[in-house]
Amino acid sequence: MTQSRTILILADDDPDDRLLTREAFEEAGYQGAFQFVEDGRQLLEYLDSSRKSLPGVILLDLNMPRMSGYEALTELKTDQALRRIPIIVLTTSSADEDVLRSYDLGVNSFITKPSSFQELTEVAKRVIDYWLETVKLPPQS
Amino acid sequence: MSKSGPTASLNDHDEVFRLVFEAAPNGIVVVNDQGSVVLVNPQAERMFGYSREEFIGLRIEDLVPQRFRSAHVHHRKGFAKQPSQRGMGAGRDLHARRKDGSEFPVEIGLTPVPSPEGLLVVSSIVDTTERTRADNELRRYAADLERSNADLRNFAHVASHDLQEPLRKITAFGERLRKHCATALDEKGNDYLQRMTDASHRMQGLIEDLLTFSRVSMHQVPAEEVDLNQVLTTVLEDLEIAIGETGATIERTTPLPSIHADRSQMGQLFQNLVSNALKFHRPGETPRITVSAMRPVLGKVTLEFRDHGIGFEPRYADRIFGIFQRLHGRNEYEGTGVGLAICRKIVELHHGTITALGEPGVGARFLVELPLRQPSTPPES
Repeated sequence: MTQSRTILILADDDPDDRLLTREAFEEAGYQGAFQFVEDGRQLLEYLDSSRKSLPGVILLDLNMPRMSGYEALTELKTDQALRRIPIIVLTTSSADEDVLRSYDLGVNSFITKPSSFQELTEVAKRVIDYWLETVKLPPQS
Repeated sequence: MSKSGPTASLNDHDEVFRLVFEAAPNGIVVVNDQGSVVLVNPQAERMFGYSREEFIGLRIEDLVPQRFRSAHVHHRKGFAKQPSQRGMGAGRDLHARRKDGSEFPVEIGLTPVPSPEGLLVVSSIVDTTERTRADNELRRYAADLERSNADLRNFAHVASHDLQEPLRKITAFGERLRKHCATALDEKGNDYLQRMTDASHRMQGLIEDLLTFSRVSMHQVPAEEVDLNQVLTTVLEDLEIAIGETGATIERTTPLPSIHADRSQMGQLFQNLVSNALKFHRPGETPRITVSAMRPVLGKVTLEFRDHGIGFEPRYADRIFGIFQRLHGRNEYEGTGVGLAICRKIVELHHGTITALGEPGVGARFLVELPLRQPSTPPES
């Protein structure tokens, strides 16, 4: 699937995690464009400015400064177009309350950041396999 | 009190009653229907700082702090209308006032006594300063303890979460380093990298165990009927691989009872104790483990997990339950030293006790005493 638009966007305030996640996706064979934002506010701004070419999937960290993943989620889900974009939570937390709250707010998957790079690459493979190669994503309007 | 014999004279009685009155440990103040003090005992003199002479003619309100006086007059008139023997000021904190104006907390019992001169009221007064202070101290101590326990639980939980974050990076970048730069490093450099990676994996294990421990501590125990036979069976199934690898024999020498407990925590307790027994077997010998229960006594049952492994010095019997306590080097036996700490936490949450008995080279026995019923807890919300 060759698309010119950004397919993946990662919202994470941690530069190490942004680097590791990008490298893991690359090692897993991802060749599309990758967009990075550092908090919920930047995520909403980016999405609002790219309405003609929205990303296919959002990878969202929960614990971020300025605007958390939860706050961003709550806002996203009130927007007619943005609410359709599949969201994968990618967080350090494995706490039940975070899992429940995330699904309550309408996320599509909840993934706890694995502790090794090898496992992160495995996760990236599965995300690509399922969300980018199996699932039909909402078409661009 | 038994009735006195017919030979006792009235005067004898008077003398006995006077002595009782004088020697009573409570302060006694007798007031007439006008609210004036007519009789006091020595204890009341000591309490209030008035001499007997000064007392007589005082109004009872003089013994009450200024701010309560008008209410007191009202209460006193109410009592006079419906006199009965009772405690004073039910549910209120009562205070009395000394001659020098200082106040002290009191408990007062009132007894109406009809007399030719009208209704007398006998007030029996206990100075509760000491008790109130002790009560307050105990309450403050309990609150402090509860708070520090909560802080500790919270600390372990938060710390282990936050500690995981940088550790994850160390592990991940270590892997990247190995993948991309292994050839650039000489043998020594690769050895350093390996040691670093091993250490961060160990740290990961410690943090995960700390998290498990803090989760157990934060857990409320719901009372549920749990068949411990079933718990043991499940645990043995879960440990099938480890049991198979070591060739261990595990014998249940008596049936185990059903008790009120948290099922998953009982599973964790059994699993940790059996794993422990499997792990510390004597080199070259297959582990032999027995699990049994003694007959319940006084609502409590004692379970025994006995192995014939390496045992331990009796002086370590308490230390082995401490968190991160290990008696052996990492290269001898793996593990973080949290397993038995978790066992103790679980047993304590169930209002029980756990004891370890060991003899080097002979084996270890773990005795777990658990109540059959948990004390009633407020209904789950």
